[in-house]
Formats: sequence, structure tokens, C-alpha cells
Amino acid sequence: MSAPQVLKQGSTEERAENARMSSFVGAIAIKDMIKTTLGPKGMDKILQSVSGSEAIVTNDGATILGKVAVDNAAAKLLIDVSKTQDIEVGDGTTSVTVLTGELLGEAEKLVDKKLHPQTIIQGYRIAYNAARDALVRSASPINQDPAALRTTLMEIARTTLSSKILAQDRDHFADIAVRAVLRLAGSPNLDQIHFIKKVGAGLHQSYLEEGFLLAKHPGVGQPTRIEKARIMIANTAMDTDKIKIYGATAKVENPAAIAELEKAEKEKMKEKVQNILSTGCNCFINRLLIYNYPEQLFTQAHVMAIEHAEFEGIERLALVTGAEIASNFGAAERVRLGQCDLIEEIMIGEDKVLRFAGLPLQGASTIVLRGANKHVLDEAERSMHDALCVLVQAVKDQRLVYGGGCSEMLMSRAVDEVATQTMGKKALAVEAFARALRSIPTILADNAGLDSQDLVARLRAAHYQGNVLAGLDLELGAVGDMRALGITETLRVKEQVLVSASEAAEMILRVDDIIQCAPRQRGEQPEDD
Amino acid sequence: MAEKTSKSQAVMLSNVMAARAVADAVRTSLGPRGMDKMITGKGGDVTITNDGATILESMNVAHPCAKMLQDLSKAQDVEAGDGTTSVVIIAGALLGAAERLIGRGLHPGQISRAFGRAVEEAERILTSIAIPLDLSNRELLIQNAITSLSSKMVSSNSPVLAQLAVDAVLRVVDPAIANSVDLNNIRVVKRLGGAMEDTELIDGLVFNQKASHTAQGPSRIENAKIGLIQFCISPPKTDMECSVVVRDYQQVDRALKEERQYILDICKQIARTGCNVLLIQKSILRDATNDLALHFLAKMKIMVIKDVERDEVDFICRTLGCLPMASVDGLDPSKLATASLVEEISTASGKYVKVTGIQHPGKTVTVLVRGPNKLILDETDRSIHDALCVVRSLVKRRFLLPGGGCPEIEMSLQLAALARSLEGMDQFGVRAFAEALEIIPITLAENAGLNPIAIVTELRNRHVQGDHRAGINIKKMGISDMIEANVVQPLLVSLSAITLATETVRQILKIDDIVPTR
Repeated sequence: MSAPQVLKQGSTEERAENARMSSFVGAIAIKDMIKTTLGPKGMDKILQSVSGSEAIVTNDGATILGKVAVDNAAAKLLIDVSKTQDIEVGDGTTSVTVLTGELLGEAEKLVDKKLHPQTIIQGYRIAYNAARDALVRSASPINQDPAALRTTLMEIARTTLSSKILAQDRDHFADIAVRAVLRLAGSPNLDQIHFIKKVGAGLHQSYLEEGFLLAKHPGVGQPTRIEKARIMIANTAMDTDKIKIYGATAKVENPAAIAELEKAEKEKMKEKVQNILSTGCNCFINRLLIYNYPEQLFTQAHVMAIEHAEFEGIERLALVTGAEIASNFGAAERVRLGQCDLIEEIMIGEDKVLRFAGLPLQGASTIVLRGANKHVLDEAERSMHDALCVLVQAVKDQRLVYGGGCSEMLMSRAVDEVATQTMGKKALAVEAFARALRSIPTILADNAGLDSQDLVARLRAAHYQGNVLAGLDLELGAVGDMRALGITETLRVKEQVLVSASEAAEMILRVDDIIQCAPRQRGEQPEDD
Repeated sequence: MAEKTSKSQAVMLSNVMAARAVADAVRTSLGPRGMDKMITGKGGDVTITNDGATILESMNVAHPCAKMLQDLSKAQDVEAGDGTTSVVIIAGALLGAAERLIGRGLHPGQISRAFGRAVEEAERILTSIAIPLDLSNRELLIQNAITSLSSKMVSSNSPVLAQLAVDAVLRVVDPAIANSVDLNNIRVVKRLGGAMEDTELIDGLVFNQKASHTAQGPSRIENAKIGLIQFCISPPKTDMECSVVVRDYQQVDRALKEERQYILDICKQIARTGCNVLLIQKSILRDATNDLALHFLAKMKIMVIKDVERDEVDFICRTLGCLPMASVDGLDPSKLATASLVEEISTASGKYVKVTGIQHPGKTVTVLVRGPNKLILDETDRSIHDALCVVRSLVKRRFLLPGGGCPEIEMSLQLAALARSLEGMDQFGVRAFAEALEIIPITLAENAGLNPIAIVTELRNRHVQGDHRAGINIKKMGISDMIEANVVQPLLVSLSAITLATETVRQILKIDDIVPTR
């Protein structure tokens, strides 16, 4: 006699040990895949899509995890954790995945030793609090003196960039990122920083353009250089104002009447242009196309008219020039115009772009990226985005910790000390947490092709001897002083890694049953429930 | 762990192999004696070319690393316009070197770092051996272009084409202030028929379409007044849907008459401005002209050129010095351009219109490319583009280098010397990099049917003895001073080739896994 079927046909259920095992396996597989990308010597992955021929080369944890196709609940959870990290702080996406994976790996060993998952969770919580306290205590505030602030930010940017494709030119890019962020003057709005990617030249020829670049051209015969520009940004039809009612038809008696209608339509357009011009603008930027006739009128008025500026283009422009996006010109005088000191054409590679300089919004800048191919450029943009996020966090949060495995070792030591004072079985879990933290420097060393066991042991010894600034110098393959080497990270990123990783690990540990619903058959209607 | 390492190594080796396969495919096309490739496209169309960028672009590769090499060649095309084959060959050789080092147990990260170091040094060496160039030295500019063209199908006509390219670039820029050339100012018009040497630089404008011949319109106008209109000379059409309601026969008659009157009015207004050559922009929404309009214009002795594309308008206006007229009331004699002659020229493959003697010419030129068949025509077009780019590179960076594998050997020797002074793994990497650069002279010699070992050894020897300008002279089948032999190339081409190639190689070396995604 078979057991009664409770779940619907096709659904599966994994219980207790099986469920736990499946979570561990999934999470650890993801960790193993991504861990080689960690750190300054981390490697890249090619993400090749199964369907199309698109391929991405990247080192960015969030990008890799965002693209892989997985069919394991725990693995999906890990991916979500890294996404959250990306949204919250923008960097540390690989670290958080690796740490979660390591915590689960340690937990698996404990489960094998017959520890109940709840005991492990208790131990992890004790350890997490100890680690977080130690981390926050170790953080040092940023010196607010402009020169010192700049140096600190440069260090942070360099640390973030050192694991990316830009590592070779990291001083150059750190400088670009720091200048861009300092221009923001504390504002967290990264929309003001715009990227333009142009294939050609080398990465080191990338630069920061103070101002806004728009890859469009003014119409024929119009000025290509305007000083003291008054800019109107519009989203309006400059071909014709059509009646939108379907099937509206004008019925006339003879062709002359059609000619009159045509003339009237033209007059209407002329009036519209007159309305626009009456605002006193000398640069008109439209999201939609501008037909020949209005273009000619703009040319006559010596106004630069740019068509097809796209949604993104006009929104950014409106932001940086302080303009309002106009779509109705009946009361033209009420439209707020944008300002800028100079609009001119400049050349990047083979193409001409328009530069808007001297904008009212001081923070606006454009980072022009150059590189050998599209992959390099895309990856450079992702890397710069990470660096910018971290810098913005640093400016906001103002507290620093040290990288190169230093903070992890520091936390691990604090956790180990708590472990010695913890009663009962959960002490084992606390110790396991410390081991998981130590795996970060281990992986860093492994990725650099160094002897990780030896180095990490030495690093631990250094910390127990009271050298709280000790970390791994991966260039020399030795233990070094992180402050002297300038390997700094923001507290916010590290803290978020710790928080997200322990939370995610706990969540997965609590699982003792995985129920997979029956896949919906093609053509089957979703049931109401 | 051991298993993990071997997996990432396998991925890396497969990447390197794929990329090298691409590099090998174009290797034989390098140099003056390089061979051409025939490419059959998807639709069965055939291309014969020697241009690296074109070959790679049309290759149907699937491997992501092979694609990266395609992109590399494209980037070189954008940046320097020439050296698209060399850049891929260098990348292939560097990958080969890296493969050997990985086999000996070096970590790819270390190799990548050493290559990074080597390329910085290589840039320095190249800049140090470069010879400054004065843009007024037309002969030298032409020599540069000739070197670039020597590897092409058109090499027998290279003096003509090189001169043409140099003149074209010098016409559109002011040598004193320019630091780049906008190649959009040089329009290349291809015309089947004639021989390759009939290719000419036209001081004016060429329209690829013929003049309208409805009702025997004129096909030759002296003292032309040229106007460009963007409106239509056809029955009125409103943006709103519109219909004429006709009740009886008389009304039809009247409608026809009115329509005729309407068109005649427009034509008369055009004639009143003094315009005798009319360019009409293409219209998609309605007919730009109708037979009636063409008939009237022909009677008024106005030459009509139809179907001018909207994106050509800018170029035409800058060349002729006219302004487009977008409506009838925008007609204005001051918007017209004056030229001494507009004439239609017949060739075997059709007619085209040539405008010469423009009164206020802009800084633009047109190159009319001729060729006996489509394959040669296309290849000539590509070769001229390369030659133009070479001249542009010289405008951008006014330095030149001896050609014939000379800079590569010099870099190789100096880097090898540098490697000896380095410590640790960098020594291996830089030395491998130095050796890899010899691929260029080796390939040049191989493709010319010379003994590569003997030639490269002698070349190296000459350089060590202090003859820093020695290179492979393909014409004399031996080694000689490249500056004397007039084999020169722009610094920018070599510089960008080596930096771009290294950048790509380093990126490939950093990859340890290929992950399938959705």
C-alpha cells in the first residue's frame, strides 16, 4: 500500500537531512564558483548566454550572480543576498557571497557532528555580535581636512578598483572617481555622473569631463558653439501636432482648400516655434525628432536645435542644467529654462559630441571611458560604478576600516575570544564563525597564487601579538601594515557584508523542508486559490 | 583544490587557443607580400580583401575570446585606422607566449602583471625612437601612406592613391592647429567602371544619382546657382487625413487645374530666386516631386537632382556653402550656392553629377573611386580609408617610425635587455613579451618567401650593432635602412597596436571560467 498523496502530482518535497544537504550543496557551489574572483588577484569569468551569442567578461560578483541560471533554492537566496549588497552599498558583492558560503560550509561540518541547527544559529548570533562590535570599534573616522580627505578617498577607491580590470591604471581611475564624487559635494545622487563609452585608445586615456556630454548634433547651419546658453528642454512633437482622435478627416471641396489647410498647419508649427523662441532660449533640445521646417526656423533664429535626445538624455540634461522638461508652449514664459556657460562640439575618437560646460548643478560630470573593446568598456563602467558607490558611502558614513583581510582577522580574533567564554555546544559554532571569517584572507592569498596556509597563520599571529593593522600584502606575498599601504575600505561596506552574510546563513540553516511546486504545464490556466 | 586548478587551467588554455586560431587566420595577410582572403558572406556575396578588420568582421566566430580579438581589430580601426592585422597578430603571439609560461607553472596573474610592465616600457621605447614630422613635408606623408597601401591589392597604384589621401586630408584640416581629422568631411563615392588609377580627388561634390531627365531637363549648367530644398513639389498634402469631395465632372476639371496651378506657383517661385540647379531632399511621407513638377522645372531650364538623403544634407551644405530651404516662403537667393559648372557625366555603369568650381567651398572633399569590378572597387575603398587614417594618425601624433619590422625588433631587444635586470617572475614575463614581438618581422619575412630565421637573426644583429633603422626591405629581399628606403609608418599606429593588443591579452589571461547564463 502506498502512502496517500498529499502534494499535487509533480511537486516534490525534500525533508530534514536531505533539505539541509540540498541547501548546503547549492550555496557552497555558488561560493566555489565566485570565490576565484575575490581580491586584487581575482580572476574574471566569461558569462556566455545559452540562447544568444552575447558574452560578458566580468569580475563583478553581482553581475555574475545576476546572470547565472540556477535551480536551487539556497543558491537563489545567495544570489539575492549579493543583489541586496549591490543595492545597499554597491560593492562587496563577492565578499558577501563567499562569507555566506563559508558560514554554511562550517555549519555543514557541525551538523555532521550532530549539532542541531538551532544551536549553530545561537552560536552564530553570539559570534556575529562580537564580530560587529570589534569591527565598529576598530573603525577610524575620516580626517575632514580637504587634502587628507582626498588622500583617504583615493586610498578607498584604489582598494576597490584593485580587484577590477582597471587595476593597472587604478591611480588614474581612482583620481577620476574621487574628483567626480568630490564634485557631488556630499550629494548621494549618482545620476549626476554620466558615462560615455567609446571604443578605441587605451583605458588610461579615459578622463573626467566636468560638465555634461551629449552624443548628438545640432541641425544644419546652426551654431555649434554657444556661450551663456539658455536651454529649453522639451518633449514635444516637432513634426506636426496631430489630432489624436482616430479617423478624424477633413473634407474639402477642392485642392486649393487642401493647400490652405497645409498652410494653416505650417502656420501652427511656426507659431509653436515662435512660442518656443519667445522664451528667449538659444538652445532647444527635443526628445522627439524635429522636422525640416521647424529646423529651418530655428536656424534663422540662430538657435541650436537638437533632435532625438532620448528620454535618458533629456532627463539628465534637465537635472544638470536646472531646466524643466516642457511639453506645452501656450504659456511659454512660465517654462523654466536651463543654463550653462558654454556649449561646444568636441571630438572623442572618431565622433563629435556636444559638451555642456559651466552647469549650475556643480556635481554634474561625465566620465569618458576608452578601451580596446566593448567588453573592456562595459567592465570598466561596472568597476567605476562600484568605486563611485563606495566613495559616496565613505563621504556619507565617514568611518574607515582596513582591507587586505585585516578586518576579517580582527573580527575572527574577537570571536575566538568570545568562544573561549561561551558555555555549551554553541561554543563550537562560535569557533566555526571565526574560521569562516578567516577564509576571506585565505581565499585572497589563494587567488594570488600564494601559500595561504602559511600566510594566514602568520597574519593571525600578528593580530594576536597586537598588530591590529596587519593584513596581507598581495604584491609582496607577505604580512604588511595596511595603514602604511593605504588599503582602506569603508566601514559601511564591511558591516553590510557581515550583516547580510550572517542573516542569510541563518535563514538557510533554519530550513528543514523544501517543497517544490509542480511546474505549470504549458497551456494550463493558473488556478485561483 | 588540485582539480579546481586544472579546470581553470583548461578554460584558460581553451581561451588562448580560440584567440590564437583567429590570429593565425589573418597572419598570412600581413605585409607587402601578404595574401588576400576571399570571404563568402551569408547571402553568397563575395569579398576579397587583405584588410584585417574586414576579414575578422566577416568571420563567423562563436567563442567569446575569438570575439574579443575581433573587437580588438575594430578598436584599432577606430583609433588608428591601420595596423588592424598587426594588432591581432601581436595579440596572438602574446597569448602564445603566455600559454608557454602557464605550462611552466606561472600564475596568469603574474604573467599579466609582467605584460603590463612590459607594455609601459614598450611605449617609452617607441616614443624614443620616433622621428618628429612636419606636416608641410608632403613627400614624407605620401611615403607613409604608400607603406600602408603596399600590402593591399591596390599596391601597384599606391603612389596615386597615397597622394590623393594626403591631399584630401590636408584639404580638410588646417595643419597648423588641427590635432585630429574628422573623416566625415571626406566623402568617398564609389563608381563602377574605369580603371583603378582613374580614381580622383574632386574639388567639389559628386552626386551618385543622375539628374532628372523628365521632359529633357538640362544635364549641364554653367554658372550654376544651386539650391537645396527640403519641401515637396507635389500636390498639397496635409498632416491630417484629408479628402476632396467631388460632386460632378466639372469639379474634377477644376481640381486638376488648381493642382497644376499650385505646382506651377512653387516652380515659379523657385525660378524667381535665380536657382538653376535644384537639389531635392527625399521624402518618405509623400512624393518629393511629381512628373508635372519635373516638367515645369525642365521647361524653366532648371536641373533637378532628386533623392538627396537627409543625412547627406549637412555635408552638402558645408561643401557648397548653401543653406537648406525647408518651405516655399523660406526661398531666398542668399541661401543659394554658386558653382562654375554642374554637369552630368555618363559612364558605362550609369550617370553621376559632378559639381566643380564652387565659389565658397567648405573644408570638405570628395573622392571618386573607380574600379573595373565590384570586388576591386570595394577593396580600393577600404584601402583609401586605411591611407586616410594613416595620414590622420600623423596629424594626431606628428611622429613617424621606420617600418619593415624595425620598431618591433628594437622593442624586442630593449625589452630583453630590461628583462635581465628584473627580479622574480617579471623577468620571465617581460622576456616572453620581448620574444613575442618578433612575430611581426618573422611574419613579414615568411609572407615574402624569405627565410625568417636568417632574416630576423640578421636584423637583430644589425640593431645590436647600432643600426636602429634597419628593417626588412621586401623589394630588395634583404635588410636595409628603412628611412632611406622610404618605408615609414606613423607612430600612433604602432603605439595603439601594442597597447590595445596587450590590454586584450591581459583581459583574456584574467579569465578562469566560462559560465553559461540564461
